[in-house]
Amino acid sequence: MDELLVQLLGVLFLIGLGWSVGSYAERRHLARLAEREKSNGAFLVTQLKSFPAYTGRDLPPQLIVAETVVASDYFKSFLAGLRRLFGGEVRSFQSLLSRARRESTQRIVEEARGMGYNAICNLRLETADVGGSSANKKGAAMVAIIASATAYHCQLPQA
Amino acid sequence: MIVTNTETIAGYRIHEIKGLVQGNTVRAKHAGRDIMAGLKNLVGGELKGYTELLTESRRQATERMMSQAEQLGANAVVNVRFTTSAVTAGAAELYAYGTAVVAEPGA
Repeated sequence: MDELLVQLLGVLFLIGLGWSVGSYAERRHLARLAEREKSNGAFLVTQLKSFPAYTGRDLPPQLIVAETVVASDYFKSFLAGLRRLFGGEVRSFQSLLSRARRESTQRIVEEARGMGYNAICNLRLETADVGGSSANKKGAAMVAIIASATAYHCQLPQA
Repeated sequence: MIVTNTETIAGYRIHEIKGLVQGNTVRAKHAGRDIMAGLKNLVGGELKGYTELLTESRRQATERMMSQAEQLGANAVVNVRFTTSAVTAGAAELYAYGTAVVAEPGA
């Protein structure tokens, strides 16, 4: 009986830890992403296959790739486990995916910017398989995104 | 060498197509990273170790692809794509492929 109680407390502690630390980290990440997206607002991001408003400069167009792997926390995994009983949308993992995608995109934008480009086209976002955990832990979800794009120089018409 | 994931290169004209070039690499995670990832799965957040692993694999695959293109006498690779697959638990393949071309400046 005591052992069961200890185990239960342990699980509750992990859920509490995931909930407090995990949601704090997520809020901070989202805030940072929003800030970066705002400061990179003038940077043209498209997933067109062509080069809108291309200007011939000395820099040739170039491929830029960025990866992001984001882990779920214990609380999210717990919620997802509950969801699996009833079915339906797993919101807790949805935010993981969108964070990984936005982070990868911002990394590309920042790298392209640092190299002197001001636009990217043909942005591709792909989920990657990093092989899962070799310990094969149940419910330990993670999301890996590989984003690639071609950076170039553009000149948007003045409004 | 110019590498893009678009079918054309703006400001360049494609003169000659040399064919498909590819590069791949299979990488295993070491146990330390796996343990760290296990801990990270409690509190959430970015798995920096895995991100680095992916970056290294992608660089290696791209380099192999580029050296193949060089051997064919190409000076650019267009329409590059990446795919990944999990070979076994704990190891992943990253595969990069594209079309090697000879491109010259000029519209």
